[in-house]
Amino acid sequence: MKSFSSFPGCALHGRLRGVLFALGLLLLLTMDLAAGVLVAPTVIILSDKERTGRMTIQNPTNKPREVDIYFGFGLPESDSLGDVRITMQDSNVTDTRSAMAWIKAFPRKILLPPNGSQVVRLVATPPESLQTGEYWARIVVRSREGTVALSPTGENNQITTNLNMIMQTAIMLKYRTGELTAKLELVDASASVRDSLVEVILNMANRGNVSYVGVLSCRLLDADKKEISHKNVDLAVYRDMKRRFNLPLRGEKPKPPYQVEVLITTEGRHDIADEDMIFGNVINRTLAVP
Amino acid sequence: MSKFFGTMPKLTSLAAAILALLVGPSMVMAQDVANGSATATVLTALSVTATAPLAFGNVLQGVPKSIAKTDAAAGIFTIAGAANAGVSMYMQLPDYIELADGSDRMVIAFGITDANVDTTGGGDPTAFVAGDGYADQDPHNLPSGANLSDAGAANIFLGGRVVPTVDQTAGAYSGDIILTVAYNGS
Repeated sequence: MKSFSSFPGCALHGRLRGVLFALGLLLLLTMDLAAGVLVAPTVIILSDKERTGRMTIQNPTNKPREVDIYFGFGLPESDSLGDVRITMQDSNVTDTRSAMAWIKAFPRKILLPPNGSQVVRLVATPPESLQTGEYWARIVVRSREGTVALSPTGENNQITTNLNMIMQTAIMLKYRTGELTAKLELVDASASVRDSLVEVILNMANRGNVSYVGVLSCRLLDADKKEISHKNVDLAVYRDMKRRFNLPLRGEKPKPPYQVEVLITTEGRHDIADEDMIFGNVINRTLAVP
Repeated sequence: MSKFFGTMPKLTSLAAAILALLVGPSMVMAQDVANGSATATVLTALSVTATAPLAFGNVLQGVPKSIAKTDAAAGIFTIAGAANAGVSMYMQLPDYIELADGSDRMVIAFGITDANVDTTGGGDPTAFVAGDGYADQDPHNLPSGANLSDAGAANIFLGGRVVPTVDQTAGAYSGDIILTVAYNGS
């Protein structure tokens, strides 16, 4: 398909339509994005020294918002392909590292006025026999419009439908106790060419007693050590994790043989305050691409 | 129409920029509130917005009605957060919708290809193409490994089908569609 500018004589018309479309989109976004609540921070850390914490919920819209807060459990886990997902549980959690049962939030139900905000306090009351390490829960913030109006039944006794679109954000809460160590092992790693990509597969195992939170970087290099492409992701390994990345073979005929530099470090996270980070080992590995 | 949609790839980046401009300041403010600092560099708050409801409109007794995920009436969730961040998405869908007094209910069904996940941040379900993200997804099992766009946005477009019975009671039927989102990297 051609863009507007590709059509002779249509350039101005095309630009005008483009501008109108952008303005329409702006209006739409302004209206539509004024609908969810914002929750900060994105990770909450409690400990045996500081058993209380807080988060702020903000309603940036001009409508009241009903907000419910409850707790769940879910860790980032990888599937057999190396993709990551979090499977949420809100009951029957048997994981020994779950803090779900002994974390409380106050208040748990809030009616946020337009453009209002509310601080929610979090309190941990862990069992006395808690072993050294880190314990986890998800704070789930559910929001919906304060008043949900049902579509009225039509004049001719029609059947109408109204589906409430409910939004939930799940924030990680970590409770720490005792001497803490962040340690990650890169159990195995491989790289191979797949069409116009280099596929990198990394198997990692957490050998510490806290989640290993850091940054994973992969750089694809050509025979002259010139970078072809790279990928950086925020990493959180709670137990074992497999990650797969596709690094594109960009540019004009990159010169083989290729290699991939892998760097895993707890440095470089900007979403978590330094005092809340547990800094751990650094992994550097160079993979030959056969 | 083809000319119009031919502009979409270019406009996607414009839309992403606008999205960032609109969402960015309020999120930074939220983070500042929480951190008590105006200078902290923090991960953008993760926000989920129900941009448009799945709208079946009026339904006739005994006549099933479907809305495609590429229809203008498709349900739209918009996710906004940090650029390129990995996110998990989990949707809870009803098996039926019911009258407010619970006196009657209507089957609602979601097929295994009733969702498109647009990871470019484009917000128009009718303009979605396979290269924009994950096409034909099962809304009960949204794809893992999804990343937000360069501007920190993604959309889920949802279709579905209601199946009224021949003696379905007239009235307003309602139900809940819940989307849960979490960052994978924390």
